Amino acid sequence: MWIQTSFLVVWLDPLGIRYHSMCSPVFHCYACPLSTFACPIGVLAQFGALHVFPFVAIGLLVTMGALFGTLICGWACPFGFFQDLVAKIPTPKFDLPKFTSYFRYVILFGTVLAIPYFFGEDHPLFVCRICPAGALESAIPTMIGQASAGEPVVWPNALKLIILILFLIAIFFVKRPWCRILCPLGAIFSLFNKFSTFSLKFNRLHCTECKRCHKLCEFGIEPEKSPNDSRCVRCLECTKCGPNALKLGTIFSDDKSDLKNYKDK
Amino acid sequence: MKKQVKIFVAVLFFVLGIALLCYGLLVHVTDITAMENNVETVLTKNEPEMIKLASIGGVKRDESGWINQTFAVGEKPPETCAT
Repeated sequence: MWIQTSFLVVWLDPLGIRYHSMCSPVFHCYACPLSTFACPIGVLAQFGALHVFPFVAIGLLVTMGALFGTLICGWACPFGFFQDLVAKIPTPKFDLPKFTSYFRYVILFGTVLAIPYFFGEDHPLFVCRICPAGALESAIPTMIGQASAGEPVVWPNALKLIILILFLIAIFFVKRPWCRILCPLGAIFSLFNKFSTFSLKFNRLHCTECKRCHKLCEFGIEPEKSPNDSRCVRCLECTKCGPNALKLGTIFSDDKSDLKNYKDK
Repeated sequence: MKKQVKIFVAVLFFVLGIALLCYGLLVHVTDITAMENNVETVLTKNEPEMIKLASIGGVKRDESGWINQTFAVGEKPPETCAT
């Protein structure tokens, strides 16, 4: 939690410094009055609408994906952190079927790539027009500012409001619903999970098959079967299992040394 | 996936990402049109400038394929994006 809070300070412009000419690797609306960097998904969509290839945004996402995969989702993303904080409220939590995670790719290819490219930014399904992060971090603060200044309040479109309301209800009953069902940035990073430099390591020799990792994982993954699953946000909760069978490592770390250490014990 | 293959793929994507990033930051430019004293002029913008302009709804593509700046040169740009 402290790591997520520290990253929040980076994304939330504490010194009034704005680098909107550069993307961050996290999901954070750049129309937010406090945002330091531009949103990579917004840049992909906006550049798609302009028919300009977004070298910076794609370069950043590929670099970060190759290094960290979805570790960014679990530890750096402010929108994920917000959902984690709300999830601490003790309400009944429901699991989601596995197929729902594929909607992220539909959102990515539909609302971030195809619709902006073919129909431009005026299309009602252009990602920024339906994004709940944009509604929460930008539209609502702007509306409050307009109301407090006595100016006429400009409401976001109805679809954006409906998605925001559904999202705000869902976060109480599902762990990280945005990340699991709809996040296009998570969809991009998940493609790198199998070979990113930092990844989850499973040591079969340490595993006692107690299945505790199944209970620790709030995303319905069986970590010992698929430690770098595309649905995983690398919150690393599963690494808290007793026998230390799961841990964060790198693709360079030598699994054989683990085996030797285990045998020496 | 074997360890050597994983390392190869990760390094390949890392290098590709850095190359794209450097190209975008240092080389890539886009021509856009803007009004200056009621005369249409062509401006060359680098990618960081384009990111900033796109983030505030400061550029829009017209039917002919040209990218137009939504405010005239010297005018105040929009404060937030149109969405």
